[in-house]
Amino acid sequence: MTKNYYLIKKTALEARKLIVSCISDAGSGHPGGSLSMVEILGCLFHNHIKYDPKKPYWNKRDKLILSKGHGSPGLFSYLAIMGYFKTSQLHTFRKFGSILQGHPDLKCPGVEFCGGSLGIGLSFSIGDALAAKIDNSDRHIYTIIGDGESNEGQIWEAAMTATKYQIDNITVILDRNYVQQDSQTEDVMPLDIHSKNNNKTYTVSDKWRSFGWNVIDIDGHKIEQIDKAIKESKKTKNAPTIIIAHTIKGKGIKHMEQNPNWHGQAPKHEFLPIISTELESQFMISPSIIAGSSIDLEHKIKACKDAKADCIHLDVMDGIFVKNKTFDFKKIKELRKITTLPFDVHLMISNPLTHMKKYIDAGSDIISVHAESCNESSFGEIHDILINNNVGIGLAINPDTQLPKWSYKFLPTINQLVIMSVFPGKSGQKYIESTHSKTQKIIKLLSKHKFGGYIEADGGICNANLRQCFIDGARVFVGGNAIMGQTSVKNAILEFKNIIFNTIQNLLLSKANSIGGKDLVTKWINLHNEEKTTLLNNIATDLRYL
Amino acid sequence: MNTKLTDMRTAYGNMLIKLGKSNKKIVVVGADTTNSLKISSFGKIFQDRFFNVGIAEANLVSIAAGLSNAGKVVFASTYAIFVPGRCVDQIRNAIAYPSRDKKKGLNVKLVVSHGGISVGADGGSHQQLEDIAIMRTIPNMRVLIPADSISVSELTYIMSKKYGPFYMRMSRSKTPIIYNNSQKFLIGKGITLRDGTDCTIAACGIMVKMALDAARLLQKDGISCRIIDMFSIKPLDEKILEKAARETGLIITCEEHNTMAGMGSAICEIIADTYPVPIRRIGIKDQFGESVRDHEMPLLFKKHKLTSNDIASKVKEVRK
Repeated sequence: MTKNYYLIKKTALEARKLIVSCISDAGSGHPGGSLSMVEILGCLFHNHIKYDPKKPYWNKRDKLILSKGHGSPGLFSYLAIMGYFKTSQLHTFRKFGSILQGHPDLKCPGVEFCGGSLGIGLSFSIGDALAAKIDNSDRHIYTIIGDGESNEGQIWEAAMTATKYQIDNITVILDRNYVQQDSQTEDVMPLDIHSKNNNKTYTVSDKWRSFGWNVIDIDGHKIEQIDKAIKESKKTKNAPTIIIAHTIKGKGIKHMEQNPNWHGQAPKHEFLPIISTELESQFMISPSIIAGSSIDLEHKIKACKDAKADCIHLDVMDGIFVKNKTFDFKKIKELRKITTLPFDVHLMISNPLTHMKKYIDAGSDIISVHAESCNESSFGEIHDILINNNVGIGLAINPDTQLPKWSYKFLPTINQLVIMSVFPGKSGQKYIESTHSKTQKIIKLLSKHKFGGYIEADGGICNANLRQCFIDGARVFVGGNAIMGQTSVKNAILEFKNIIFNTIQNLLLSKANSIGGKDLVTKWINLHNEEKTTLLNNIATDLRYL
Repeated sequence: MNTKLTDMRTAYGNMLIKLGKSNKKIVVVGADTTNSLKISSFGKIFQDRFFNVGIAEANLVSIAAGLSNAGKVVFASTYAIFVPGRCVDQIRNAIAYPSRDKKKGLNVKLVVSHGGISVGADGGSHQQLEDIAIMRTIPNMRVLIPADSISVSELTYIMSKKYGPFYMRMSRSKTPIIYNNSQKFLIGKGITLRDGTDCTIAACGIMVKMALDAARLLQKDGISCRIIDMFSIKPLDEKILEKAARETGLIITCEEHNTMAGMGSAICEIIADTYPVPIRRIGIKDQFGESVRDHEMPLLFKKHKLTSNDIASKVKEVRK
């Protein structure tokens, strides 16, 4: 289980929006490297760094050293979200008199290091870590360095020093996004080297390993992987740890992704509403592993992992709330051992409150309970228990259930609303068409009540209705037979993602068209690379926007 | 006046040990020159507060910054040539720039040895002649060049008590004792070593002794020279300089540094703003140094017109 998984997802989205808007407001700044480390920052702030925004100089605090200082919009956005200052202050970024300088400055509460000139922060962190050792303090230092930054020789001076002094109170995270100002890192100054001498490849991870560091390679956008790696780093004794977080520069905004032009360029104001829609289009594929013919759940989880599913949907049926019976918390506990993938647990059981603790302890990342099995009081209790245990809160409603009035007050903190498009109880049913209009209606209600979570479409989701479900507003898609019942889970998930990707492109073009007509549509298309421009031109022509 | 020669680095190392006993916050960092800098003995006594980071000066300076960021009083030492010359970026951005509330810069003391041409045999590559210029233009940085080992001890003590970044340059060679142990030193205050009415010679480091010798030569010719030890180059003692300009009408500056942007230039700036009088700057005229063996040192000083005779001649030349 990853603590606060859904909360981190939520603040990561908020951070991305803040990054883009503050850079756009400033007219300059570095979006690419800010967007690539958002999940890393989220994980650090929510789950690892000891801090108190009201007492930024609290002497028991941990320290976050952003060595790649040009990622300041990322850092500042998270500092604001975590309460160091108001998010509205982000609009002073890079402006006269602001505490939010172009690069991090101690003027800003929460900033521990004046980054900007690259290569210095790791040595600086080592100094702080050595001081903590002298003082017998349990302070932990978290340092984020860049891959372009790793061209600096001083990084490797520091690398040697950290192992000499067996510094284990430091966790370094390399934001390995493969892009620096001029071009791809591997073109400017390769970090992964292929030796023509012995025909071997030495990656940047090999380099760090050869310096005596504990090296952990992860996908730097997967919260569960970041969290696990940081936990491991804190347990490692007598050696420093570096987490090589493989990330995507400009992550979340397609035209910026892996494009060196967006290392240090501000997006124009006119694109912000489209970018905002794009960021809100992030989605998750959550395969339901009870679907499909096999009963080997472990095997199915492995298939989901290989197919890059975002989470695992676990349908718990007790034979009382629904006729069928599947498995309970004991099975979840077993499955927890084999994967870090988030568990999206759907409790189709009666009296869920009495079982809540067991499902939390089993390792659920989010627990959705049925509105039909709760009332205001029991859901309130469930809600509080989940919040206190840093587990996501889900509420599910059956096809013939409307969103209950008593749930409104919980909407701002609910992480997921599961709108069932089949009657729960067994897999393989057909999607109930009226769910589309129901979802659209509920969406309006949700925004009125400040809902900030995901809508999960669950029941009969397949290639045929996926597109409309996305347009309705669903962002988590439970794949039953359409994924787990297929010969290749990987291809099925890929197809899901393709359909959604195309739907998003339509959505963005339609947004551009609605606010700026043909002119804005053209400008938006031209932001993209050649290959994507052709695709977008075709879609826009089909939609008669051009 | 005592002509006994003593070693500045030994005075520095001994004072660090003395300070280290009473102040647990003092941490010393070196870069493979810790025996030469006489700081390794601190490391033997206070093992947990001493770090040798190897031949990695950028690392040295930045680790020092990190230690001070966590509340330590940090002394970082190696040869002059490897600190301002090699690490100006780290010094500027990691030590001098970070300011929190009223604390300007971090609490790091960069104490270096082997400044100037008096390094000798190692040659031009190792003779730092640009450090004053580099360091004095960095905001929040204070620059000290002591004249003898007593000054070194006292200034080391003062730096440990005074918050903020400092740069202090020592000489490689042993130097004559100029002060007695009761001498008081204040940052930003020059010390008048000899009063005079006809001219003022302001000097720093080992040039102070040269200036004193020049004053004795000039006395024979009936010229009364005031000698000021300007060990505090930044902040610079405006009052003592303005008074000297007013009372003696001529200032000669002496430093083992490029005459561009060094102590002499700093004095020109002050005098131009306060009481303009003629000034002549004695130093290295925009050149690099070269190797000499210790006994040949006078030849190198003669070449660059830095001897007491050269200083005396300059005074006479200007007064004509």
